[in-house]
Amino acid sequence: MSHGAADPTMHPEVQLSTSKGYFLGFAISAFLMLVATFLVTSHSVPPFGLLMVISVCAGIAVIAQIYFLLHIDISEHNIWNTVALVLFIPLFLITIGLTWWMFSQLYLRTMDMSVMSSAMQPAVHASATPGMAAMPGMNAHTDSGN
Amino acid sequence: MSSHASTVDPKKAELWDTHHHSHDVISTRTLGYFLYLLSDGMLFATLFAAYGVLSYQHSYFGGPTPAEFVKPWYTFAQTIALFLSVLAYGFGMNALKHKNKSGLINGMLAAFVLGVVFLVLDIHDMSHLYSMGITLASSGGMSAFMVLTQVHATHIFFGLIWILVMMAQVMTKGFTEETVGRLLTLRMFWHLQAVIWVFVYIFVYLWGYIS
Repeated sequence: MSHGAADPTMHPEVQLSTSKGYFLGFAISAFLMLVATFLVTSHSVPPFGLLMVISVCAGIAVIAQIYFLLHIDISEHNIWNTVALVLFIPLFLITIGLTWWMFSQLYLRTMDMSVMSSAMQPAVHASATPGMAAMPGMNAHTDSGN
Repeated sequence: MSSHASTVDPKKAELWDTHHHSHDVISTRTLGYFLYLLSDGMLFATLFAAYGVLSYQHSYFGGPTPAEFVKPWYTFAQTIALFLSVLAYGFGMNALKHKNKSGLINGMLAAFVLGVVFLVLDIHDMSHLYSMGITLASSGGMSAFMVLTQVHATHIFFGLIWILVMMAQVMTKGFTEETVGRLLTLRMFWHLQAVIWVFVYIFVYLWGYIS
Protein backbone atom coordinates (compact mmCIF):
# COMPACT_ATOMS: atom_id res chain seq x y z
CA MET A 1 0.00 0.00 0.00
CA SER A 2 2.99 2.32 0.15
CA HIS A 3 2.93 4.91 -2.56
CA GLY A 4 4.96 8.05 -2.68
CA ALA A 5 4.70 11.09 -4.86
CA ALA A 6 7.51 9.74 -6.99
CA ASP A 7 5.40 8.13 -9.70
CA PRO A 8 1.75 9.16 -9.78
CA THR A 9 0.89 6.42 -12.29
CA MET A 10 1.64 3.89 -9.52
CA HIS A 11 -1.15 5.39 -7.39
CA PRO A 12 -3.64 2.65 -6.38
CA GLU A 13 -6.55 4.50 -8.00
CA VAL A 14 -4.69 4.36 -11.31
CA GLN A 15 -3.59 0.78 -10.83
CA LEU A 16 -7.10 -0.52 -10.13
CA SER A 17 -8.10 0.08 -13.77
CA THR A 18 -8.69 -3.10 -15.74
CA SER A 19 -9.81 -3.34 -19.36
CA LYS A 20 -11.81 -6.44 -18.46
CA GLY A 21 -13.75 -4.58 -15.76
CA TYR A 22 -14.53 -1.64 -18.04
CA PHE A 23 -15.60 -3.99 -20.81
CA LEU A 24 -17.87 -5.95 -18.44
CA GLY A 25 -19.44 -2.70 -17.22
CA PHE A 26 -20.09 -1.69 -20.82
CA ALA A 27 -21.34 -5.10 -21.99
CA ILE A 28 -23.75 -5.69 -19.07
CA SER A 29 -25.31 -2.21 -19.19
CA ALA A 30 -25.51 -2.11 -23.02
CA PHE A 31 -27.14 -5.55 -23.11
CA LEU A 32 -29.74 -4.53 -20.48
CA MET A 33 -30.53 -1.33 -22.38
CA LEU A 34 -30.95 -3.43 -25.54
CA VAL A 35 -33.38 -5.76 -23.75
CA ALA A 36 -35.36 -2.81 -22.34
CA THR A 37 -35.54 -1.07 -25.73
CA PHE A 38 -36.59 -4.28 -27.48
CA LEU A 39 -39.36 -5.02 -24.93
CA VAL A 40 -40.66 -1.45 -25.10
CA THR A 41 -40.82 -1.38 -28.91
CA SER A 42 -42.26 -4.89 -29.31
CA HIS A 43 -45.34 -4.08 -27.14
CA SER A 44 -45.40 -7.74 -26.04
CA VAL A 45 -45.64 -7.04 -22.30
CA PRO A 46 -48.49 -5.13 -20.57
CA PRO A 47 -47.48 -1.60 -19.43
CA PHE A 48 -47.21 -2.25 -15.69
CA GLY A 49 -45.17 -5.41 -16.15
CA LEU A 50 -43.05 -3.57 -18.69
CA LEU A 51 -42.35 -0.79 -16.20
CA MET A 52 -41.25 -3.38 -13.63
CA VAL A 53 -38.99 -5.16 -16.14
CA ILE A 54 -37.27 -2.00 -17.42
CA SER A 55 -36.86 -0.76 -13.82
CA VAL A 56 -35.04 -3.99 -12.98
CA CYS A 57 -32.90 -3.54 -16.13
CA ALA A 58 -32.02 0.00 -14.99
CA GLY A 59 -31.22 -1.19 -11.46
CA ILE A 60 -28.87 -3.98 -12.56
CA ALA A 61 -27.19 -1.74 -15.18
CA VAL A 62 -26.56 0.98 -12.58
CA ILE A 63 -25.16 -1.52 -10.05
CA ALA A 64 -22.86 -2.99 -12.72
CA GLN A 65 -21.65 0.48 -13.74
CA ILE A 66 -21.10 1.60 -10.14
CA TYR A 67 -19.09 -1.54 -9.42
CA PHE A 68 -17.09 -1.87 -12.64
CA LEU A 69 -16.72 1.80 -13.69
CA LEU A 70 -16.73 3.76 -10.44
CA HIS A 71 -14.89 1.00 -8.51
CA ILE A 72 -17.26 1.23 -5.55
CA ASP A 73 -16.30 -1.64 -3.26
CA ILE A 74 -15.10 -2.22 0.30
CA SER A 75 -11.38 -2.19 -0.47
CA GLU A 76 -9.20 -0.03 1.77
CA HIS A 77 -8.79 2.59 -0.91
CA ASN A 78 -12.43 3.04 -1.88
CA ILE A 79 -14.27 2.48 1.38
CA TRP A 80 -14.99 6.20 1.93
CA ASN A 81 -16.37 6.58 -1.58
CA THR A 82 -18.64 3.62 -0.80
CA VAL A 83 -19.74 5.07 2.54
CA ALA A 84 -20.52 8.43 0.89
CA LEU A 85 -22.53 6.71 -1.86
CA VAL A 86 -24.45 4.53 0.60
CA LEU A 87 -25.40 7.63 2.61
CA PHE A 88 -26.28 9.47 -0.62
CA ILE A 89 -28.75 6.87 -1.93
CA PRO A 90 -31.45 7.48 0.78
CA LEU A 91 -31.25 11.26 0.16
CA PHE A 92 -31.68 10.67 -3.58
CA LEU A 93 -34.65 8.33 -3.13
CA ILE A 94 -36.33 10.45 -0.42
CA THR A 95 -36.05 13.63 -2.54
CA ILE A 96 -37.71 11.99 -5.54
CA GLY A 97 -40.12 9.75 -3.63
CA LEU A 98 -41.52 12.31 -1.18
CA THR A 99 -41.87 14.99 -3.87
CA TRP A 100 -43.73 12.58 -6.13
CA TRP A 101 -45.93 11.36 -3.27
CA MET A 102 -46.85 14.88 -2.13
CA PHE A 103 -47.83 16.00 -5.62
CA SER A 104 -49.75 12.82 -6.42
CA GLN A 105 -51.82 13.37 -3.24
CA LEU A 106 -52.27 17.04 -4.15
CA TYR A 107 -53.52 16.19 -7.64
CA LEU A 108 -55.84 13.55 -6.19
CA ARG A 109 -57.47 16.02 -3.80
CA THR A 110 -57.51 19.26 -5.79
CA MET A 111 -57.95 18.45 -9.46
CA ASP A 112 -61.40 19.12 -10.90
CA MET A 113 -61.90 16.19 -13.21
CA SER A 114 -64.49 17.93 -15.41
CA VAL A 115 -62.00 20.70 -16.11
CA MET A 116 -59.27 18.09 -16.58
CA SER A 117 -61.22 16.24 -19.26
CA SER A 118 -61.81 19.45 -21.21
CA ALA A 119 -58.09 20.11 -21.15
CA MET A 120 -57.56 16.64 -22.66
CA GLN A 121 -59.28 17.68 -25.87
CA PRO A 122 -56.74 17.46 -28.70
CA ALA A 123 -58.18 20.72 -30.16
CA VAL A 124 -55.78 22.62 -27.91
CA HIS A 125 -52.37 22.01 -29.41
CA ALA A 126 -49.19 23.06 -27.69
CA SER A 127 -47.94 24.99 -30.72
CA ALA A 128 -50.75 27.44 -30.10
CA THR A 129 -50.13 28.53 -26.54
CA PRO A 130 -53.38 28.10 -24.65
CA GLY A 131 -54.88 31.13 -22.97
CA MET A 132 -54.90 31.30 -19.21
CA ALA A 133 -58.70 31.01 -19.10
CA ALA A 134 -58.51 27.58 -20.75
CA MET A 135 -56.09 26.22 -18.17
CA PRO A 136 -57.25 23.83 -15.43
CA GLY A 137 -58.26 25.74 -12.34
CA MET A 138 -58.26 29.13 -14.06
CA ASN A 139 -62.01 29.15 -14.54
CA ALA A 140 -62.62 28.34 -10.88
CA HIS A 141 -64.63 31.57 -10.48
CA THR A 142 -67.41 30.13 -12.61
CA ASP A 143 -67.58 27.10 -10.33
CA SER A 144 -67.61 29.18 -7.17
CA GLY A 145 -70.66 31.02 -8.41
CA ASN A 146 -72.73 27.87 -8.18
CA MET B 1 1.21 5.12 34.03
CA SER B 2 4.02 4.91 36.53
CA SER B 3 5.45 1.85 34.80
CA HIS B 4 5.24 3.63 31.48
CA ALA B 5 7.06 6.69 32.87
CA SER B 6 9.85 4.50 34.21
CA THR B 7 10.66 3.18 30.70
CA VAL B 8 10.98 6.64 29.11
CA ASP B 9 14.16 8.58 29.62
CA PRO B 10 13.00 12.20 29.70
CA LYS B 11 16.36 13.44 28.48
CA LYS B 12 16.21 11.38 25.31
CA ALA B 13 12.49 11.25 24.68
CA GLU B 14 11.30 12.75 21.39
CA LEU B 15 8.13 14.70 22.07
CA TRP B 16 7.49 15.72 18.47
CA ASP B 17 7.28 13.58 15.39
CA THR B 18 9.63 15.47 13.13
CA HIS B 19 9.64 12.99 10.28
CA HIS B 20 7.99 14.04 7.05
CA HIS B 21 4.89 12.02 6.20
CA SER B 22 3.86 12.24 2.58
CA HIS B 23 0.25 13.25 2.16
CA ASP B 24 -1.79 11.35 -0.41
CA VAL B 25 -2.84 14.39 -2.45
CA ILE B 26 -4.47 12.38 -5.25
CA SER B 27 -6.75 10.36 -2.94
CA THR B 28 -7.77 13.46 -1.00
CA ARG B 29 -8.74 15.23 -4.22
CA THR B 30 -10.59 12.26 -5.71
CA LEU B 31 -12.66 11.80 -2.53
CA GLY B 32 -13.48 15.51 -2.51
CA TYR B 33 -14.47 15.36 -6.16
CA PHE B 34 -16.60 12.27 -5.54
CA LEU B 35 -18.52 14.17 -2.83
CA TYR B 36 -19.05 17.00 -5.32
CA LEU B 37 -20.38 14.52 -7.87
CA LEU B 38 -22.85 13.17 -5.30
CA SER B 39 -24.15 16.72 -4.79
CA ASP B 40 -24.46 16.89 -8.59
CA GLY B 41 -26.53 13.73 -8.19
CA MET B 42 -28.85 15.69 -5.87
CA LEU B 43 -29.30 18.25 -8.68
CA PHE B 44 -30.51 15.39 -10.86
CA ALA B 45 -32.72 14.14 -7.99
CA THR B 46 -34.59 17.46 -7.99
CA LEU B 47 -34.95 17.36 -11.79
CA PHE B 48 -36.20 13.75 -11.70
CA ALA B 49 -38.65 14.76 -8.95
CA ALA B 50 -39.85 17.69 -11.10
CA TYR B 51 -40.29 15.37 -14.08
CA GLY B 52 -42.10 12.88 -11.84
CA VAL B 53 -44.72 15.43 -10.74
CA LEU B 54 -44.99 16.99 -14.23
CA SER B 55 -45.42 13.84 -16.29
CA TYR B 56 -49.10 13.25 -15.55
CA GLN B 57 -51.56 13.29 -18.42
CA HIS B 58 -52.75 16.80 -17.49
CA SER B 59 -49.15 18.08 -17.32
CA TYR B 60 -49.00 18.08 -21.13
CA PHE B 61 -52.25 20.07 -21.34
CA GLY B 62 -53.52 18.22 -24.39
CA GLY B 63 -50.28 18.88 -26.24
CA PRO B 64 -47.63 16.39 -27.33
CA THR B 65 -46.42 13.83 -24.81
CA PRO B 66 -43.16 11.83 -24.94
CA ALA B 67 -45.25 8.86 -26.14
CA GLU B 68 -45.81 10.77 -29.40
CA PHE B 69 -42.28 11.84 -30.25
CA VAL B 70 -39.78 9.54 -28.46
CA LYS B 71 -38.08 7.15 -30.89
CA PRO B 72 -36.65 4.35 -28.70
CA TRP B 73 -34.10 3.03 -31.20
CA TYR B 74 -32.80 6.53 -31.98
CA THR B 75 -32.20 7.18 -28.28
CA PHE B 76 -30.75 3.68 -27.95
CA ALA B 77 -28.11 4.73 -30.52
CA GLN B 78 -27.32 7.70 -28.24
CA THR B 79 -27.05 5.28 -25.32
CA ILE B 80 -24.54 3.08 -27.12
CA ALA B 81 -22.49 6.12 -28.25
CA LEU B 82 -22.22 7.30 -24.63
CA PHE B 83 -21.46 3.83 -23.24
CA LEU B 84 -18.75 3.32 -25.89
CA SER B 85 -17.29 6.73 -25.04
CA VAL B 86 -17.12 5.71 -21.38
CA LEU B 87 -15.53 2.39 -22.41
CA ALA B 88 -12.92 4.19 -24.55
CA TYR B 89 -12.01 6.46 -21.64
CA GLY B 90 -11.69 3.37 -19.43
CA PHE B 91 -9.32 1.77 -21.94
CA GLY B 92 -7.35 5.03 -21.99
CA MET B 93 -7.04 4.91 -18.19
CA ASN B 94 -5.85 1.31 -18.47
CA ALA B 95 -3.10 2.58 -20.80
CA LEU B 96 -2.19 5.17 -18.13
CA LYS B 97 -1.69 2.29 -15.70
CA HIS B 98 1.05 1.00 -18.05
CA LYS B 99 2.48 4.53 -18.62
CA ASN B 100 1.39 4.28 -22.26
CA LYS B 101 0.88 7.91 -23.27
CA SER B 102 -0.20 7.28 -26.87
CA GLY B 103 -2.70 4.65 -25.65
CA LEU B 104 -4.16 7.17 -23.22
CA ILE B 105 -4.41 9.90 -25.89
CA ASN B 106 -6.05 7.46 -28.34
CA GLY B 107 -8.57 6.38 -25.70
CA MET B 108 -9.41 10.00 -24.83
CA LEU B 109 -9.71 10.92 -28.52
CA ALA B 110 -12.13 8.02 -29.09
CA ALA B 111 -14.07 9.04 -25.96
CA PHE B 112 -14.24 12.61 -27.29
CA VAL B 113 -15.46 11.60 -30.76
CA LEU B 114 -18.13 9.26 -29.35
CA GLY B 115 -19.22 11.94 -26.89
CA VAL B 116 -19.61 14.36 -29.82
CA VAL B 117 -21.73 11.72 -31.60
CA PHE B 118 -23.97 11.55 -28.51
CA LEU B 119 -24.30 15.33 -28.37
CA VAL B 120 -24.97 15.71 -32.13
CA LEU B 121 -27.72 13.07 -31.92
CA ASP B 122 -29.22 14.94 -28.96
CA ILE B 123 -29.10 18.33 -30.70
CA HIS B 124 -30.63 16.81 -33.85
CA ASP B 125 -33.40 15.30 -31.71
CA MET B 126 -34.12 18.63 -30.00
CA SER B 127 -34.12 20.59 -33.28
CA HIS B 128 -36.51 18.00 -34.70
CA LEU B 129 -38.87 18.62 -31.76
CA TYR B 130 -38.52 22.37 -32.29
CA SER B 131 -39.42 22.00 -35.97
CA MET B 132 -42.58 20.16 -34.86
CA GLY B 133 -43.50 23.16 -32.72
CA ILE B 134 -42.59 21.40 -29.45
CA THR B 135 -40.59 23.75 -27.24
CA LEU B 136 -39.72 24.33 -23.61
CA ALA B 137 -42.88 26.48 -23.34
CA SER B 138 -45.32 23.93 -24.79
CA SER B 139 -46.40 22.59 -21.39
CA GLY B 140 -45.15 21.94 -17.88
CA GLY B 141 -44.46 18.33 -18.85
CA MET B 142 -42.34 19.39 -21.83
CA SER B 143 -40.42 21.88 -19.67
CA ALA B 144 -39.55 19.12 -17.20
CA PHE B 145 -38.64 16.70 -20.00
CA MET B 146 -36.39 19.14 -21.83
CA VAL B 147 -34.68 20.62 -18.78
CA LEU B 148 -33.81 17.16 -17.42
CA THR B 149 -32.48 15.78 -20.71
CA GLN B 150 -30.64 18.98 -21.63
CA VAL B 151 -29.01 19.37 -18.20
CA HIS B 152 -27.54 15.91 -18.81
CA ALA B 153 -26.45 16.99 -22.32
CA THR B 154 -24.82 20.08 -20.76
CA HIS B 155 -22.80 17.79 -18.50
CA ILE B 156 -21.64 15.94 -21.62
CA PHE B 157 -20.71 19.25 -23.29
CA PHE B 158 -18.51 20.35 -20.39
CA GLY B 159 -17.07 16.84 -20.09
CA LEU B 160 -15.99 17.05 -23.74
CA ILE B 161 -14.21 20.37 -23.11
CA TRP B 162 -12.52 18.81 -20.07
CA ILE B 163 -11.36 15.83 -22.18
CA LEU B 164 -9.74 18.22 -24.69
CA VAL B 165 -8.05 20.18 -21.90
CA MET B 166 -6.69 16.99 -20.33
CA MET B 167 -5.38 15.72 -23.68
CA ALA B 168 -3.46 18.98 -24.05
CA GLN B 169 -2.16 18.79 -20.45
CA VAL B 170 -1.02 15.18 -20.82
CA MET B 171 0.83 16.04 -24.05
CA THR B 172 2.54 19.14 -22.62
CA LYS B 173 3.08 18.23 -18.94
CA GLY B 174 3.20 14.42 -19.01
CA PHE B 175 2.18 12.26 -16.06
CA THR B 176 2.58 14.57 -13.05
CA GLU B 177 0.69 14.32 -9.78
CA GLU B 178 -1.63 17.11 -11.01
CA THR B 179 -2.44 15.65 -14.43
CA VAL B 180 -2.90 12.08 -13.13
CA GLY B 181 -5.19 13.34 -10.35
CA ARG B 182 -7.25 15.29 -12.89
CA LEU B 183 -7.46 12.26 -15.19
CA LEU B 184 -8.86 10.28 -12.25
CA THR B 185 -11.48 12.94 -11.41
CA LEU B 186 -12.41 13.17 -15.11
CA ARG B 187 -12.82 9.40 -15.15
CA MET B 188 -15.28 9.65 -12.24
CA PHE B 189 -17.16 12.51 -13.90
CA TRP B 190 -17.37 10.79 -17.30
CA HIS B 191 -18.36 7.40 -15.93
CA LEU B 192 -21.02 8.95 -13.69
CA GLN B 193 -22.64 10.47 -16.78
CA ALA B 194 -23.30 6.92 -18.03
CA VAL B 195 -24.93 6.02 -14.69
CA ILE B 196 -27.21 9.09 -14.82
CA TRP B 197 -28.01 8.39 -18.47
CA VAL B 198 -29.37 4.93 -17.52
CA PHE B 199 -31.96 6.69 -15.31
CA VAL B 200 -32.72 9.30 -17.98
CA TYR B 201 -33.06 6.70 -20.74
CA ILE B 202 -35.19 4.20 -18.80
CA PHE B 203 -37.38 6.48 -16.69
CA VAL B 204 -37.76 9.49 -19.00
CA TYR B 205 -37.43 8.26 -22.58
CA LEU B 206 -38.66 4.65 -22.39
CA TRP B 207 -41.24 5.18 -19.62
CA GLY B 208 -42.45 8.31 -21.42
CA TYR B 209 -42.77 6.26 -24.60
CA ILE B 210 -44.96 3.55 -23.00
CA SER B 211 -47.16 5.84 -20.86
